[in-house]
Amino acid sequence: MNITVCAKQIPDPANEITYDNGLISRPEEQVLDDTDRYGIEIALQLKEKYEGEVTVISMGPAGTQKGLQQALQMGADKTLYVDDDSLKGSNSLMTASILSELAKTTDADIVIFGTESTDGYTGTVPQQVARFLKLDCISYIKAIEISENVTLTRQTLEGSEKVIMPEKCVLSVTAGGVEPRYPNFKDIMAAKQKPIEKVELSSLNMNASQNLEFLNIEKLENSKNGEKIIDEGEAYQVVIEKLKELKVI
Amino acid sequence: MKTLILGEVIDNKLSSGTLEIINKANSLSLEYKVVTVGSSDAPVLGSSTFHQTYIKRSAESLQFNNVADKLSQIIQEENISLVLAPSTYQCRDLVSFLSVDLLSSPVSNVINFDIQDDSVVTTNSINGGESIYKTKITSSCSLLLIRPKSFDPIDIELNSEYETIEVENSSIEIFDVFKEEKSGPQLEDSKIVISAGRGMVEKENLSLVEDLANKLNAAIGGTRAIVDAGWMPYSQQVGQTGKTVKPDVYIACGISGATQHQVGMKDSKFIIAINKDEEAPIFQLADLGIVGDTLSVIPKINENI
Repeated sequence: MNITVCAKQIPDPANEITYDNGLISRPEEQVLDDTDRYGIEIALQLKEKYEGEVTVISMGPAGTQKGLQQALQMGADKTLYVDDDSLKGSNSLMTASILSELAKTTDADIVIFGTESTDGYTGTVPQQVARFLKLDCISYIKAIEISENVTLTRQTLEGSEKVIMPEKCVLSVTAGGVEPRYPNFKDIMAAKQKPIEKVELSSLNMNASQNLEFLNIEKLENSKNGEKIIDEGEAYQVVIEKLKELKVI
Repeated sequence: MKTLILGEVIDNKLSSGTLEIINKANSLSLEYKVVTVGSSDAPVLGSSTFHQTYIKRSAESLQFNNVADKLSQIIQEENISLVLAPSTYQCRDLVSFLSVDLLSSPVSNVINFDIQDDSVVTTNSINGGESIYKTKITSSCSLLLIRPKSFDPIDIELNSEYETIEVENSSIEIFDVFKEEKSGPQLEDSKIVISAGRGMVEKENLSLVEDLANKLNAAIGGTRAIVDAGWMPYSQQVGQTGKTVKPDVYIACGISGATQHQVGMKDSKFIIAINKDEEAPIFQLADLGIVGDTLSVIPKINENI
């Protein structure tokens, strides 16, 4: 089974996101989006059951490749990435187009995504890739059970539902659905020997174009300068008084 | 601008997210029709004020590709140039599929939009509502995914008059459909919401929040951290990847206030925050901030109400 997982390098979420002309500023060193760890974990579990290869695909400035290394450290076999200045500011459809072309080069049976990245939050790329590849998309997976078949539990508006994973499809996995494994020292060393290959944009067919024009970003004044009380044992009374004033009690 | 509003069914009627978008479409005097996708047998969706089409999908088979094919056909045949949809699981799937068919990238997380010189201009809230981001859409068909609670829902009488279209099943069968039991006040429409975060330290301590919620007849929410930790079901998550709430009173218990959480609650009318860390970002949003240990403050509130 060829399993392809999409991973994104993002600015360290510990730091505040900054923008430059409408685009997220990306430092040389970016990290693996935690959301993608869930997808990689599912890919590795599928590989343990069905054998095959786990390929990570990625688009964006490669920089120090730290995030791509982190994906390999978890246990993926190799990485393919596209990094081209002309892709700067790509909308979700352009991103999905490139990723689906990359997925084609891996001859993927199963293509796995997190549901949405932690920096951009558009949350549409997995489904767009599925449509480009003309595959079914099993979205919002919150649990996986691998026995004779692979049973996927989908999150829905009112609860959940289950489906059996088809032989070829695209999956999107929610955070918390599985427990991503932590690499040990040996995994970290082994990752250094794994291939990270750059794919030239010119070798791929882009089937989308830019249709979103950035106008402006405006900072809002959010601070309310509300009342702030240090609790010395009696602050509960202030809360109760306030709730009475608000006619909640 | 010819517009299609992609609707959704909840509890056998048009969802509040759909009614919010209809209200906005009216305020912009858009020429629109509503196409609602659902699996209920006879939902109440129709109205004398707009045209409603119901695409009935099966509850036993995953057929969003077939539904999207149908929607694409309607959009192309009727020269629709604006598609508005609530940002829910189903609509995110469908709008993403449509974006490939129409070669038009959608805009997600929209909190407001306007028509300027025949183009759609969208407003997104970024960094947890700290800034707003404006985009102009230049493709011939604009696709918008709109965050819930961005507009007030329209108050209209709904009826059962609409056209129904059925779509073919796919080969992927759905089974073990589970509906989370709804008991007590619901997050989306409760006047009071009490949310818990990591500062509650362990799951057992959530009983303190439950006691307070019972006394105030409040709904209970939580941060992504505690939902991921399995303390609460996903349906109770407030924030970017969870629900957006706008109650009269929001009480944040042991929540630091990451931007991802803020985006789901910052428009609450009155915010009370209880947190040990005086520097926690939640205090920026709070109308009343208590710097103290949630685990000692809440029991005292509970005893003295």
